[in-house]
Amino acid sequence: MGEFIGLSIAGLSLGAIYAIAASGLVVTYTTSGVFNFAHGAVGMLMAFLYWQLRVQDHWSAPAALVLTLLVAAPALGLVLERGLISRLNVNDTGTMLIVTVAVMVALMGIAYVIWPPSIGRLLPMFFGPNGHVSVDGELVSYEELISIGLAIATALGLRLFFHNTRTGVAMRGVVDDRQLMAMNGRSPQVLNALSWMIGAGFGALAGILTASTYSLDVINLTLLILNAFAAAMLGRLRNLPLTFVGAVVLGLADAYVTGYVRLTGWLVELVPVLPTLFLFIVLLALPAVRLRAGRAAVSKAIHVPSAGASLRNGVVLVVVAALIAPFMHGIALGNVNEGAALGIGALSIVLLSGYGGQLSFAQYAFFGFGAWLFRVLGHGGNPWALLVAAGAGALIGALMALPALRLRGLELALSTLAFGTLAWYMFLSQPQIIGGGDVTIPRLHLPGLSLQNDRVNLVFLAVVFALLSAGVLAIRRSRFGRILVATRDSDTACATLGLNLRLTKVALFALASAIATFGGAIYGSTQMIVTNTDFEYVSSLFIVLIVYVWGISTPGGALAGGMSLALAPLVEVHIPVRFQALTYFMTGLGALTILATPEGIVPLVSERLRRLNPLIGLRSRHTRDMSVGNEQLLARVEVSRATPADA
Amino acid sequence: MPLLQTREVTVRFGGVRALDSVSLSADAGVVTGLIGPNGAGKTTLFNVVTGLQAPTSGHVLIDGANVTGYPVHRRARLGIARTFQRLELFGSLTVRENIQTAAEIHQLGSRRRSDVGALTDSILDRVGLDRYAGAAAHTLPTGLARLTELGRALATEPRLLLLDEPGSGLNSAESEQFARLLASLAAEGTAILLVEHDMDLVMQACETIHVLDFGLLVTSGTPDEVRADARVQLAYLGQSDTVSTQAGS
Ligand SMILES: Nc1ncnc2c1ncn2[C@@H]1O[C@H](COP(=O)(O)OP(=O)(O)OP(=O)(O)O)[C@@H](O)[C@H]1O
Ligand SMILES: [Mg+2]
Repeated sequence: MGEFIGLSIAGLSLGAIYAIAASGLVVTYTTSGVFNFAHGAVGMLMAFLYWQLRVQDHWSAPAALVLTLLVAAPALGLVLERGLISRLNVNDTGTMLIVTVAVMVALMGIAYVIWPPSIGRLLPMFFGPNGHVSVDGELVSYEELISIGLAIATALGLRLFFHNTRTGVAMRGVVDDRQLMAMNGRSPQVLNALSWMIGAGFGALAGILTASTYSLDVINLTLLILNAFAAAMLGRLRNLPLTFVGAVVLGLADAYVTGYVRLTGWLVELVPVLPTLFLFIVLLALPAVRLRAGRAAVSKAIHVPSAGASLRNGVVLVVVAALIAPFMHGIALGNVNEGAALGIGALSIVLLSGYGGQLSFAQYAFFGFGAWLFRVLGHGGNPWALLVAAGAGALIGALMALPALRLRGLELALSTLAFGTLAWYMFLSQPQIIGGGDVTIPRLHLPGLSLQNDRVNLVFLAVVFALLSAGVLAIRRSRFGRILVATRDSDTACATLGLNLRLTKVALFALASAIATFGGAIYGSTQMIVTNTDFEYVSSLFIVLIVYVWGISTPGGALAGGMSLALAPLVEVHIPVRFQALTYFMTGLGALTILATPEGIVPLVSERLRRLNPLIGLRSRHTRDMSVGNEQLLARVEVSRATPADA
Repeated sequence: MPLLQTREVTVRFGGVRALDSVSLSADAGVVTGLIGPNGAGKTTLFNVVTGLQAPTSGHVLIDGANVTGYPVHRRARLGIARTFQRLELFGSLTVRENIQTAAEIHQLGSRRRSDVGALTDSILDRVGLDRYAGAAAHTLPTGLARLTELGRALATEPRLLLLDEPGSGLNSAESEQFARLLASLAAEGTAILLVEHDMDLVMQACETIHVLDFGLLVTSGTPDEVRADARVQLAYLGQSDTVSTQAGS
C-alpha cells in the first residue's frame, strides 16, 4: 500500500509538471494560434537563470523565483512574440513551426554558451533533503507535493482568469474572431503578447520544478515540450481540463510502469516513450480535421530549371567533385562524403516539404532504417540492396502517413515527430538493430567499380545526387509535381476540384520516404561504421531547419543543408570548447533568415546569378517574366486594365 | 428536376445560426442569384454544398440524390465547382498552370482523356486571361485573380458552378464582359449560383434570385419581383448603402 501511495504521488507530481508546462502551450496556442515549439527551451533557459541567481549569486529562493517567473520569462515571451511571431502569417503553419524550432535551437545555444555543459549543476531542493513526510513508510518529498499544489493552483487560476475576467474571455475568443475582439476594445496584438508572456511564465515554472525535482539539463528540459504536448493534444491544444487529465494520466503511467512492470527485451526503453505513445494514440483517435477556406498562405513562385538546365547543373556538380576529390584527404574528405550522403537523403525534404508543403520530423528514422537495411541486405556492397531499401522505405512511409492522413499541418508534422521518436527508441536503439555500439556496414560495390576509396566514393555520390536531383526536378515539372505544389498552396481548392487529398499525401510520403531510406542506405555505405546516435530523432528537426534555411524548394538547398550538418564539426574544432555550442546559436539565428528570405539562400543567390549572367538571362527570358518582373507585370496589368475602357 | 437542391439546411456556429432551415434550388442552364447582406450565410451555404461545412441538419441533393455525407472531392467529381470569396489560388503557379492543374486533377478522377493543353488554352481565351497566362498567380490584382479562379473551376467542366463574389475587383466594362460570359456558360447548360454584392450585375445576369438574411431565406423570385419585395428592401436598409441604392435604382 505504501509503495502504491508513493508511486501515485510521484506520478501525480510528474503529471503536475506536465500540466503546468502544457498549460503554457495551451494558453499561447488558444490566443495566438501558434504552437510554440520553443516552449520547453524557454523553460530550460529560465531554469538555468534560476540556478544562476539561486546558486551562483546566492539569492534567496523567493527573490530568484520572482525575477525568473514574473520578470525574465514574461519579458522573453514578449520579445519573441513582438519581435518575431507577430511578423509572420499565423496561417502559415510550416513557417511558424520552423521559426519556433529555430528559436528553440538558438535558446539551446545561448544556454550552452553561458552555462557550458562540462560542469555539473544541481539545483537545491526547495526544502532540502530532509523536507519530506512519511506515508505508510514511503518518503514523499515536499518537492513532489509542491508541484501538485502548484498544478492545482494553475488549474484554478486559469479557470478563473479565462471565465471571470474580460481579458481572459477575450483571450479565449481571439483566434476565431479577431475583428470582433478589436471592436470590443481588446486589441489582438495586446492579447497575443499577453498569451506569450503567460505561456513563458508557465514554461519557466515547469522548467524550474523539473530541474529541482529531476535534473538541470539542456536537452531534457527542452524536450519536456514533447511530453507536455502529448498532454495538451488530448484537449486538441485548446481544452485545459482535458490537458490536465492527459498530464495526470501520463505522470501516473510513468510512475506505475516504472514501479510495477519489469521491462525486458524490446520494451526496456518503454518509459521515456510513454508520452510519445500516448500522443500517437491520441492523434489517431482525433476526429479528422476539416478543410477550411480562406486560410491559404501566400507562397512565391520559385524558378524551376528545365530538364536541360538540371542536367547541366548535375554535370557541373560531378565535374567539381572530380576536380576537388584528389586534393582532399583525412577527416575533411570523410565529412564531405558524409555531407553528400546527407544531401541525397535531404532531397526527400525538398519533395515533401518544398513541393508538397508537408513537414516531416522523422527523416532520420528513415536514414537509420536505410543504413540498417543496407547492413542486413547489402552483402559485399550489393547495389540491389539500395533499391530494396527504397521500396521498404516507401512502404513504411505510407504506413506512417496512413493514420496521420486525417491530420493537417501542425498535427501531421507532430505525429511524424512522434513516429520518429518511437522509431529511434523502440527500433533503431535496440541492440539487435544498431543500438549496441558501433556497427559496420559494407561499402557499396558497383559491378566493375570499387568505391572503397573515399575519393571515388565522393564522385559517385555527386553522380547519385545529380541524377536524383534531376529526378526530383522532373517530378516537379510533371503533373504530379504541379498537383503537389497546388496542394501546398491550397489543399482546400484542390479538394473542391476533385482531388483525393489522402491518396495524394500517401503517395507523397511514400515517395519522400523512399528517397530518405535510399539516402540512409547510401549514408551507411559511405560511413561504414555507424551507431544509433548518428540517427537521433532530434536531428530530424535540425536537418529540416537547415534545409529550410538554404532553400527547401531546390535540390541545391538539400545539398547545402547536408554539407552544413556534416562540415560543422570541422569548424567546431577550431573554436574554444566553451563556444562550440555557438553552432547551435548560429543555426537558430541563421534559421531566422527565413524572415528575410522565405525561399532560402540558394534560390536567392541563383536568382541573382541568373540576373547577372546575360547569357542565361537571354535563354530564360520567358521564365524570368513569370518569376521576377512582378512589378513590371503589375504595371502592365494596370495599363491593360485601363485599356478596355478607352477602346 | 433542379440540379441542386438544399433541403432545410441549418448550420449553427455556437450560438450563431449561419443558416436556418434553408431550402432552395438551382437549375441547369440558369444563372441563379444568391444575395443578402454581410453575414447572411451565403458563403456558408456554398461551403455546405461543396462539403467544406457539414450542416447541423438538412440535406444537399444533386440531381435528386442525397450527397450530404460525401467528401469534398467526391462532390467535385459529380460536377460541382466553385470560386472563393477569400481567394484560394495556387499562388506559386502561373495563371496557365492554375487552370492546367485543375484540368489535370479533374482527369485523374475520370476515365476520359482529353487534351489538357487545348482545354487550358480555350479557357484562358474564354475568361480573357490569355495575356496573363505566364504570370505567377500571387502577383495578380484581385479582379484577374478572381477570373483565374473562375478559369480553374471551368477546367473541371462543371455542371454546377458556385461563384462567390466574382465581380468584386472588376471595372464596369469587365463586369459587362463577365455577365456575357455567365450567359454563355448558362446557355451551354451549366447551372450557376452567383453570390454578388454588385446589384447591377446580379439584376442583369440572373434569371432567379434567392435572398438570404440572418441565415433565413427571405424570398425567391425574378429580379423584378425581388427588387419590389418589401422584405428585401428591409433586409438591405441600413445594411449597406451601396447595395440598397443600387437595388433601388
Ligand atoms: N467557421 C465559422 N465559425 C464561426 N462562425 C462562422 C464561421 N463561418 C461563418 N460564420 C458566421 O456565420 C455567419 C454567416 O457567415 P457567411 O460568411 O456565410 O456570410 P456571407 O453571407 O457570406 O457574408 P459576406 O457577404 O460578408 O461574405 C456570420 O455571422 C459569420 O460570422
Ligand atoms: Mg461570403
